[in-house]
Amino acid sequence: MIAEETLVSELKQLETQAKAFEVLVDTYKERLYWHIRRIVLNHDDTDDVLQNTFIKVYKNIGNFKGDSKLFSWMYRIATNESLSFLKKKSHKLGISTLEMQERMVGNLKADVYFEGDEIQLKLQNAIATLPEKQKLVFNMKYFEEMKYEEISEVLSTSVGGLKASYHLAVKKIEAHIKEH
Amino acid sequence: MNKDKDNKNFHIPDDYFEGFTDRLLDKISMLDSGQEGSALPKSDGFKVPNGYFENLNDKLNVRISKKNVKVVSLWSNKTFYMVAASVAAILVFVLGVQLTKAEQFTFEELAENDFETYFESHGLGLSTYEIAEVIPVDDLEITDILDIHLNNEIIIDYLDDNIDSYEELNLTDYEY
Repeated sequence: MIAEETLVSELKQLETQAKAFEVLVDTYKERLYWHIRRIVLNHDDTDDVLQNTFIKVYKNIGNFKGDSKLFSWMYRIATNESLSFLKKKSHKLGISTLEMQERMVGNLKADVYFEGDEIQLKLQNAIATLPEKQKLVFNMKYFEEMKYEEISEVLSTSVGGLKASYHLAVKKIEAHIKEH
Repeated sequence: MNKDKDNKNFHIPDDYFEGFTDRLLDKISMLDSGQEGSALPKSDGFKVPNGYFENLNDKLNVRISKKNVKVVSLWSNKTFYMVAASVAAILVFVLGVQLTKAEQFTFEELAENDFETYFESHGLGLSTYEIAEVIPVDDLEITDILDIHLNNEIIIDYLDDNIDSYEELNLTDYEY
C-alpha cells in the first residue's frame, strides 16, 4: 500500500493528482461508506454523502496540513457531511432529528438493502435513541472496531471520555433491547 | 407417550424449534469470540448493491470533471459595466428631478397630530418589549396609566378572591 505522505504529496501536485485520487478512493471507499451508512442508514443517501465527502477531500487537499492522519481527516469530513445531511433532511421535513431517526429505522424493514433480522432491527432502534456523540462512538468502536486513539483523533475527544461514552451507549442499548 | 399431554398448559412461540439450531450455533460462536453475556449482534444487516464500489471512481470522475469545466458568461464584464453605468445615470437623473420638486419640512414644523396620524396608519413597528426598553419606567407612577385609584383594601380584596392561600404569601416575613 502506498505511504500516506506520498499519497498526500501526489494529491497536491497537478500532474499526479488524478491518479492519486483514484488510489485514495480505492483505499478508503469501503471504510468511509460503512461509517456513513451507519449514520444515515439508507444506501442512496449514503452514496450522496460519500460522493460529497470525496469531492470535499479533492477540493480541500491543498489545505490538509498533515497535523492528523489523512484517514482521520477524511473520517472527520465524512462524519460532518453525514450529520449535516441529517440536519438538512429533518429541517426540510419540519421534524426533529430524533423523530427523523425513528422514521429512518422504521423504513429499514422495507429497505431492499437491509437484510437484518428482528434483533438487528432492534439494535438499530436502540442506536437511534442514543445522543449523537454516543451513537458515533458506539458505531466506530463496535462495528468498525476502531481503536479509542483513532476515534479520539476523529471526534477530538479524550480517550477517557470516549470510554465513558461507549460504556454508557452499550448499557443503554442493552436496556433498550431488553425492554422492547 | 403422548408428548403434548404433559405440556398442554405451556405455549411456545411459532417457529421456535425451526430456528433453534441456528440460534444455538450463533450463541456458541458468540461464546467462542468472547462476547459472552452480550445480547447484541455483531453484524448490522446492511448490504450494498452489486458492483457499487467498482463504479464509484467513475461516478466521482464525472462529477469532478463537470466542476472543472469553465462556464463562459454570456455577459462579458465590459457589457455588464456599460449597462450598470447607464442604469446608474438614469437613476441619478430621476432622483435629482424628484428631490428638487419635493417640499422640505423641518421636524419642528410637523404638528403633533401628524405624528398621531402616522402611527395610527403605519403602526409603531415595535413590540411591547421594545417600547418598554425606551420608556423611562422609573419616572412613571401607576396612576399615569390607570385612572382608578388603587388603595390597599382593593388590593387585599382582589388577592383574597383570586389567590387560594392568601395566608401563605407571607407578605411581611421573607424567608430565605
